[in-house]
Amino acid sequence: MNPLTVRQHDTTTGPVLHVAGDLDFDQAPVLRGRLDQLSLSPGQCLVLDLSGLEFCDSSGITALLAARQHALAAEADVVLAAVPANLLRVLTLVGLDQVFTLRPDSSAAS
Amino acid sequence: MCRTGGVPEPAETGDEASTNAAFTALLEDSAEDLYESAPCGYLSTMMDGTIAKINTTLLDWLGLEREAVVGRKRFTDLLTIGGKLYHETHFAPLLRMQGELRGIALDLRRLDGGRLPVLVSAVVKHGTEGEPLLIRITVFDASDRRAYEQELLRRREEAERARAEADEARRQAEADRARLADALAVLQRSLVPDSLPDVPGLETAVHYHTASPDQLGGDFYDLFPVGGDRWAFFLGDVCGKGPEAASLTSLTRYTLRAAAHHDPDPASALATLNAVLHERYTGGGNPRYCTCIFGIIEPGGEHGRRVVRLASGGHPPALVLRSDGRAEFLPTPGGLLIGVVPGAPIGTVETVLGPGDTVVLYTDGLTEARTGPGRDDLYGEDALHTFATDHAPGTPHEVITALTGLLEKIGDGLDDDTALLALGVPAAPSPLGPATNHIS
Repeated sequence: MNPLTVRQHDTTTGPVLHVAGDLDFDQAPVLRGRLDQLSLSPGQCLVLDLSGLEFCDSSGITALLAARQHALAAEADVVLAAVPANLLRVLTLVGLDQVFTLRPDSSAAS
Repeated sequence: MCRTGGVPEPAETGDEASTNAAFTALLEDSAEDLYESAPCGYLSTMMDGTIAKINTTLLDWLGLEREAVVGRKRFTDLLTIGGKLYHETHFAPLLRMQGELRGIALDLRRLDGGRLPVLVSAVVKHGTEGEPLLIRITVFDASDRRAYEQELLRRREEAERARAEADEARRQAEADRARLADALAVLQRSLVPDSLPDVPGLETAVHYHTASPDQLGGDFYDLFPVGGDRWAFFLGDVCGKGPEAASLTSLTRYTLRAAAHHDPDPASALATLNAVLHERYTGGGNPRYCTCIFGIIEPGGEHGRRVVRLASGGHPPALVLRSDGRAEFLPTPGGLLIGVVPGAPIGTVETVLGPGDTVVLYTDGLTEARTGPGRDDLYGEDALHTFATDHAPGTPHEVITALTGLLEKIGDGLDDDTALLALGVPAAPSPLGPATNHIS
């Protein structure tokens, strides 16, 4: 198991969370906890940079959806950046590629 | 110590001599004193028990004066009531028979009323003709030893009590666990049916594998009539596991059942479910969702043909094994996870099952099963398609049996619950196909 790390850096358009490691049943609450603490302003864009993500299960997808819900509640946007191929396959399978804005990398978010 | 070699010092001989002299002086003094002040009690009695001689040590232990004892008391007068009884029934007869006794535990009575636990040894002294003359008795203070024995006894009783309590607690815990297991089994049956109903003109088969037996499953399926020859069925997978997943499963199952009776259109049943889940969970900031495939099957032509209309929200595509040996997926593109966004798009597809055709629904426990060392070495849809082609044509029972065998082969790679549901039109025009269920 790879430990989950969430590193934040703020840009002019909004916060970028670099999520790395395994986003699974045991560790998804870490990301959920970070999101609860994250303050977003209307019009900002929350970027989740997933380039360091090793694994993501249904609990991880739930956490991504929670991030989306958190952003919507703050009238902010959400973007998934650098989604690994395996996760992209699953997101497409369940139709979430239509729900999330996907970007090749986080720097393109601005 | 051994002395090895060396010349003995002359002074040493003198020292040794004076030490010996000191010892001798001490020992000469002792015959009488040794008896009176010995570290144990001594007494001698006549054969009738009358005390003839007793040492100071024993008198001091008992708090008695010599004058009050010698010639006036018998040995039994020194004993407690219990001690007297024991003396009468065991001590005296044994002593008469054997001539000596060793280490008998008795209680002596002190003048102040207290008792003195002792160990008694006795020997009969005989005269030259062999006639018994008197009894010599030694008495050892056993207070400490008796206290130790009492302590041991108390500890043992405590240990036995603790063990009894632990046994009782374990019995209670086992009873609780059994009751909980019963409750879980009842709840589990409310999530997936025990057995499928018989559907006229169709053969059905199902398999349900729970990854961990003590967890309520996150997969669900059902098959039920919705009027006339029309039957509804669904199969899906809720996110998460445990009781929270089970409550979501329960809401999902009963919502779909009610929705199907209200409007037997697969897409609108899932749309209703989507609205219910979104309102209940995601809208409140606690996203919970499921993938689900919902179908309606009804007569559609000659030779028992059936029309199958499917709707899917984010669920892996259904699989059809045709009577001609082909296998194909029934993709439902565009369908989204149920419960994530309001008015989520639902994917739909329609097919006709001819005689010998079988449609299979499955959860991603199968396609996402790990088949290698990495977390991303998954069984996958391509492998499943190949497997299905190898087993086409097949009746629902045959297909489910083959897939169950596959799951068993994957074994430890099955991280997730897996549900399989197959419906088929019998190849030969036969009356009613038997329903077959596998629940594991």
